[in-house]
Amino acid sequence: MIKTIVGFIAGIALVAVIAVTSAQSLMFNITPSPYGVEETAARIQANIQSPEMAAHGWKLSGLRDPSRAVASAGSNVLPVLLVEACSTNYSGPLLKANANRIFSILMPCTITVFKNDDGKTYIGTMNSGLMGKLFGISDIMDQVAADQEAFLTFDPDKPAPPLIKIRPGGGGAGGTDVGGC
Amino acid sequence: MNTPRMKVRHALILIGCLLVTTSASAIVADAQPKADGAAITAQPGSATTTPVVTLANEKTTVAVSSEAYTKPKAKKPSTADHSKFSELDKDFKTGPEVTKACLECHTEAAKQVHNTKHWTWEYLNPVTKQKLGKKSIINNFCTAVTSNQTFCSACHVGYGWSDDSFDFTSEANVDCIACHDTTGSYKKIPGLSGHPNYEKMEWPPHSGKFREAVDLKKIAQNIGKTSRQTCGACHFYGGGGNAVKHGDLDSSLTNPKRYLDVHMESDGLNFTCGDCHVSDSHEVSGSRYAPTATDDEGALIRGKRNGRNPTTCVACHGNTPHPGNTTITAKLNAHTDKLACQTCHIPEFARGALATKMSWDWSTAGKLDEKGQRIIEKASNGRVSYDSKKGHFTYDRYVIPEYVWFNGNVKYTLFGEKVEGDKVNINTFLGSADDPDSRIWPVKVFRGKQPYDVGNETLAVFHTAGKDDSAFWGNYDWDKALEWGMREAGMKYSGEKKFVETEMSWPITHMVAPKEDAMRCEQCHTENGRLQAIDGIYMPGRNNTPLVDKIGFTLALLALLGVLIHGGIRYLMSKRG
Repeated sequence: MIKTIVGFIAGIALVAVIAVTSAQSLMFNITPSPYGVEETAARIQANIQSPEMAAHGWKLSGLRDPSRAVASAGSNVLPVLLVEACSTNYSGPLLKANANRIFSILMPCTITVFKNDDGKTYIGTMNSGLMGKLFGISDIMDQVAADQEAFLTFDPDKPAPPLIKIRPGGGGAGGTDVGGC
Repeated sequence: MNTPRMKVRHALILIGCLLVTTSASAIVADAQPKADGAAITAQPGSATTTPVVTLANEKTTVAVSSEAYTKPKAKKPSTADHSKFSELDKDFKTGPEVTKACLECHTEAAKQVHNTKHWTWEYLNPVTKQKLGKKSIINNFCTAVTSNQTFCSACHVGYGWSDDSFDFTSEANVDCIACHDTTGSYKKIPGLSGHPNYEKMEWPPHSGKFREAVDLKKIAQNIGKTSRQTCGACHFYGGGGNAVKHGDLDSSLTNPKRYLDVHMESDGLNFTCGDCHVSDSHEVSGSRYAPTATDDEGALIRGKRNGRNPTTCVACHGNTPHPGNTTITAKLNAHTDKLACQTCHIPEFARGALATKMSWDWSTAGKLDEKGQRIIEKASNGRVSYDSKKGHFTYDRYVIPEYVWFNGNVKYTLFGEKVEGDKVNINTFLGSADDPDSRIWPVKVFRGKQPYDVGNETLAVFHTAGKDDSAFWGNYDWDKALEWGMREAGMKYSGEKKFVETEMSWPITHMVAPKEDAMRCEQCHTENGRLQAIDGIYMPGRNNTPLVDKIGFTLALLALLGVLIHGGIRYLMSKRG
């Protein structure tokens, strides 16, 4: 009996250790970018605005710079830009059912572009596919994950697009450009 | 098992450990070198209190915390109101006319300026014996002053330097206003040989924007001390534009916030450049041609003339700049024998609003569009990434510096010096781990690709700007531009060029971050950390010694085994009763 209890507790502890150590890599994807922070963000924005993604309903919702906010408070952090985008093709069905309306907390879809101490630029995305599986909304989130992958596919032959400094919210609260959600 | 007796034993062991730890801290702290002859006391528990210092000799060390130094914000009036001087109540037509008026009272000023690097653009390095200065060196930005004086002299403290015939002995040619204007309206336009525009003119060319003629009378009557704006008019724009050359100097320092520079913060200490770069007879201290890489002489009383460079961090903050008597501050102070202050306190450069230029590829310059027009392309951050006149550029913000050993001497590859290979170091920072005068310094390494004269085996000088038909920016003809430039530099162009990769390093010493943003231990003391490329020293966390590691692991394993065996025996013994 004691052996069973000890084994059960050990099993729980093992699972907890695995969950804690691998939670980040499971929940988020981090990939290096060959470009600087601004150019990476600009290329992601350009991809989001491509005709293919526009056909999926995607629109830019905003661009945030948390590092600048820290600077205004008198301190320094390495550059971070948050590219926000949303698609009514996906947000609409999600927001219809009462049980799913809580997932509006995931909107807009945010892609983070940041520089690390090694001087390199990285792109961080949420693991939308896993999120979908965990919360029973994989039919939508799988499509989001596929589109997200397209956002991060860069064509080096294309010149660097300008960074679109769209205000967070995209004028969504009654503005003409509703920023996707 | 856990009897009261054992609890007491555990408590005693714990107390013992604490005693050992605190004693060790005190011993380490006491072991740190203290200032010779200086007694430093501070209010307990306050890091912001001004230390009370007793000075006994020149090597006294004082730690001045930024909070301790409060500069009065209100501008104190000068003893002279220049608007009341009849000499300045004139409608000046040219800059030299203003200078003549200045010299009526400031009789020695021009003579003093004549002896400065700001005037001569020359410097003889006493150690390397190299003749340096803007007039002599070649860089990987606009490359050389030679043959381009008409444009480059927009940042010369003089009027009229357009070619070698310029009279460097003329007092009237000294430009007093460039450094002493307080109106912010004085601008020397490239292409006017160091003069401002005396008539309304379009600037930049073909931009549709116009600059009104300079109001010399107004400026002369409002003359004053130098400011971040006057120094920055050139030093923020070095290399041909804002935030191009240095990386730690750009126009965001004109009115900086705390995060950008704790000394210059306009709502805080509000330092001007001159507060650190103290001048004497118009010679401004702290030139990068004669840098001080190591200063262990302690705090320097402001105004004291003993030949020391007053711009160093130590000159104000002393040899033990981290206040307090803890293990941590003692350890930080102990780092000063290997690290320049800048290494930790300027963790990144170009932290202002602008990205700094990081590379310049001249080899792609000269491409025109199908209509034969100049091409200008912009990067995502809005800065020019390609210009037919100049080639390709890259930029970056919050740049992680590269780090080198530096003892204050820089060896340059000078014009005319034969160089081989496809990669040239335009300058090399000298120093090593074995050199007691060396410290680890942060640098901006600017990478370029620029013309090389294959026949002469030298970096090539080319004629960049001018109204003649040989200037590259006018005709995009490399051969013509090289022929002119090399001739002006005293050599004959061989007729065969190629482009070589070049590197030039710039010490990082401005944009000092708030202390809470200083580098953290783990940024260096780790594998692949900031100081990965620094050789010659053992750094815990970065380096390992296999034998020591093996011994350590073996001891740890033996200890674990001992504990297990001991525990096992006790367990068995307890089972037996």
